[in-house]
Amino acid sequence: MTSISATLSSSDRLASSGARIALILLRARAVLVLVLLLILFSALAPSFLTGANLSILTKHVAISAILAIGMTFVILSGGIDLSVGSVAGLGGMVAGYILTQGITLGGTTYHPGVFVAILATIALCLVVGALNGWLVSRAGVAPFIATLGTLYIARGSALLMSNGKTFPNLAAHAPSFAFIGQGFLLRIPIPVWLMFALFAVAAFIAAKTPFGRHVYAIGGNERAARLAGIVVPRVKMYTFLFSAFCAGLVGLIIASQLEAAHPATGESFELNAIAAVVLGGTSLMGGRGSVTGSLIGAFVIGVLADGLVMLGVSEFWQIVIKGVVIVLAVAIDQLQSRLQAKFLPLLLRSNPEAGA
Amino acid sequence: MSDDVILQASGILKRYPGNIALDHVDFKLHRNAVNVLIGENGAGKSTLMRILSGVESCDEGTILLDGKPIVLRSPRDAGAHGISIVHQELSVMPNLDISENIFAGRELTRAAMVDRKTEDTQSADALHRLHKPMPVNAQTAHLSLGCRQIVELARTIAHGSKILILDEPTSALSMAEAESLFEVIDDLKRSGVTIVYISHRLHELLHLGDYFTVLRSGRVVGEAPRSKVTRQWIVERMSGRADTTDLQVRPAASTQAVLSVHHLELGSSAAGEESQAALHEISFTLHKGEVLGIYGLLGAGRTELLETLAGNRTRLGGSIQLEGRTLELNSVGSAVKAGIVLVPEDRQRDGLIPELSIRENVALAASHGPLLSRAHETELVRKLAKDLNIAANDLELPVTSLSGGNQQKVLIARCLMRNPRVLLLDEPTRGVDAGAKAEIYRILRQLAANGLSILFTSSEIEETRTLADRALVLCQGRIAAEFQHHQLTDEALFAAASPNVTTGSIA
Repeated sequence: MTSISATLSSSDRLASSGARIALILLRARAVLVLVLLLILFSALAPSFLTGANLSILTKHVAISAILAIGMTFVILSGGIDLSVGSVAGLGGMVAGYILTQGITLGGTTYHPGVFVAILATIALCLVVGALNGWLVSRAGVAPFIATLGTLYIARGSALLMSNGKTFPNLAAHAPSFAFIGQGFLLRIPIPVWLMFALFAVAAFIAAKTPFGRHVYAIGGNERAARLAGIVVPRVKMYTFLFSAFCAGLVGLIIASQLEAAHPATGESFELNAIAAVVLGGTSLMGGRGSVTGSLIGAFVIGVLADGLVMLGVSEFWQIVIKGVVIVLAVAIDQLQSRLQAKFLPLLLRSNPEAGA
Repeated sequence: MSDDVILQASGILKRYPGNIALDHVDFKLHRNAVNVLIGENGAGKSTLMRILSGVESCDEGTILLDGKPIVLRSPRDAGAHGISIVHQELSVMPNLDISENIFAGRELTRAAMVDRKTEDTQSADALHRLHKPMPVNAQTAHLSLGCRQIVELARTIAHGSKILILDEPTSALSMAEAESLFEVIDDLKRSGVTIVYISHRLHELLHLGDYFTVLRSGRVVGEAPRSKVTRQWIVERMSGRADTTDLQVRPAASTQAVLSVHHLELGSSAAGEESQAALHEISFTLHKGEVLGIYGLLGAGRTELLETLAGNRTRLGGSIQLEGRTLELNSVGSAVKAGIVLVPEDRQRDGLIPELSIRENVALAASHGPLLSRAHETELVRKLAKDLNIAANDLELPVTSLSGGNQQKVLIARCLMRNPRVLLLDEPTRGVDAGAKAEIYRILRQLAANGLSILFTSSEIEETRTLADRALVLCQGRIAAEFQHHQLTDEALFAAASPNVTTGSIA
């Protein structure tokens, strides 16, 4: 190794430090993009950087951020969860049904409180998550197909619950239900608290617990993870349960914000969540990425949407621009992997300990 | 059962579709000793070890540990009984760092949190015991093959295993690295660990082994303590015959050069799952109608060399000429167009398309014009199937209905559809039974007699000796020796293929 280091030419050294900087910039690209967008929109739209607007913005972001946080573990382990939007819709309908129609057991109809309605909603969403987990880890169905199936199953079930109608006026049945979506704590909206709480928990799990490491290990090399004694099916099951939990929470938040449960709620939300995760630098192949990245990715999408609205850009152009940003993000991701592979020898040479 | 035996496997039977990998194998492990398991590729060594380490389960048979029956359903079960394995194919998680890899699946925790500090300390300790200190927070994707192997060894050491299975541990290591591994094995033996050691390298086995077991075609064909074992004893049992000379008369090969390779260089990489060994200063000439063998150990660069010639890897330097014309060879397409085709090593992964029929698999690469002519194609395939004696009632049957040997012939037929000048074969008879092996040899000799130039690689001495007119020995990416057919002996091939101290590190 020493002989190679000694023969390392000065141009190699330069290329090496250049590559290093390029890689650091690429890795931090989500933050860079977010900062750039914030600067751009503040300059173009004076009312953008005001407390009121940022509060509304964050509340919007919370919805896709919570889904993205749940989605992150699934994607890190090499899977995908397409069902989250439908599960959110189903969750809202379950809560709406229980609050407006009550639960009929043996001829008697009970009208449980908000707390029970929330627990029942989450429980049902976890059942869908468990179905996803079972299909993927035990029945061997590819995650894309399995969750595409449960996407339809959950959406259909949501429509069946009300025959396609909306459960209106939830506040009249249970005034305290509004708190989850509309309430404030220390002048910060409850959905934002929920987002940060979930983020803190998820980031902790990912970075500090054996479970988090198992998720990364499976995404990196599933076979090796199995040979190392990691119980792969169980880990995958938990990732889908967590994703479904987050989806259920989003369903509750939206139903609470609208004070109504609509069966079409959450359509295409799964795509927003996946976009946020990918923008945050998580590889769809699994094994690489972070929960923090997904949160930032959700903010990028939120800021972009909000800013374009304030600039008066047409809604249709907004959709096009969002698509461009997502494609660019993945293209840059590929560029990063290629650069990394290309400059790896250089990076290793200047760091002899790592490669010897 | 004596106290000397720590683990006894009896009557182990393992069937795979189409063949029996282990046929009622009895295998004993002697306590605090190095138990050597020998056999050629496909003899069943790795299958037996996968069963003992809980990766696969056997169809029949019992395993006794310290006299008590145990059931091994998963690697976790085996780990709980103190059995761990370092796999032949390195199985690290490239996105995790060294310490994370060492403790993957058995994390140390404090208050439900991963205890990184203790993990790092213990990882460093384990690496220290291996005389191979490395920064424990370096990502394994950036490590050389040798270092990844060390990480896997460190994993088993950190978990304090009672029985340690090493499946070809030195195949990716340089001589210096291997030497330090032998010291570690001695250390471990003294500290009460029982070792199972699998290797193709006879000198290592004779140096390290205390007890020897030889497997051939899924059966135990020899068992003896070190004092009764000689090199001759091993070779006889491995190959199944005492007389190792091949009396087949060969015509003198022509001297007309077909393929000339000059100073070929290939860079190494260990990034991601696909690692690549480096090649240095590879120069040789393949003559018309010649069968040239390339013998080498795992990791010597055999596959890399063939895939470079087939246009599937980008060389760093050197030139390749086919019948005097210099070739670019920057894609598989350009190689095929020039007349160089490859039968890959891993049939299932790189060769066959299981969903298609035998005919479609053969005709895959040979489309004439924009439309498929079914009649023309069927006729060509039928003729090739007859020439190569592909045993199939109906060419429209799925290719998966064929035995391994016939599947291999399907791939050879596919290559012949392109009317090649040079046929490359990577391990031409891997996973093929003995009868089909002889037939494939006969077919290849016949093709060569008709003027086709053939270059094959093999990790089997016997195969190299039987099939080749001439053989090159590849060792750590360099051509270490060249032998004419009459010079081909087991001893000479083994000696030339084994890395020696002067060739340095592989990193």
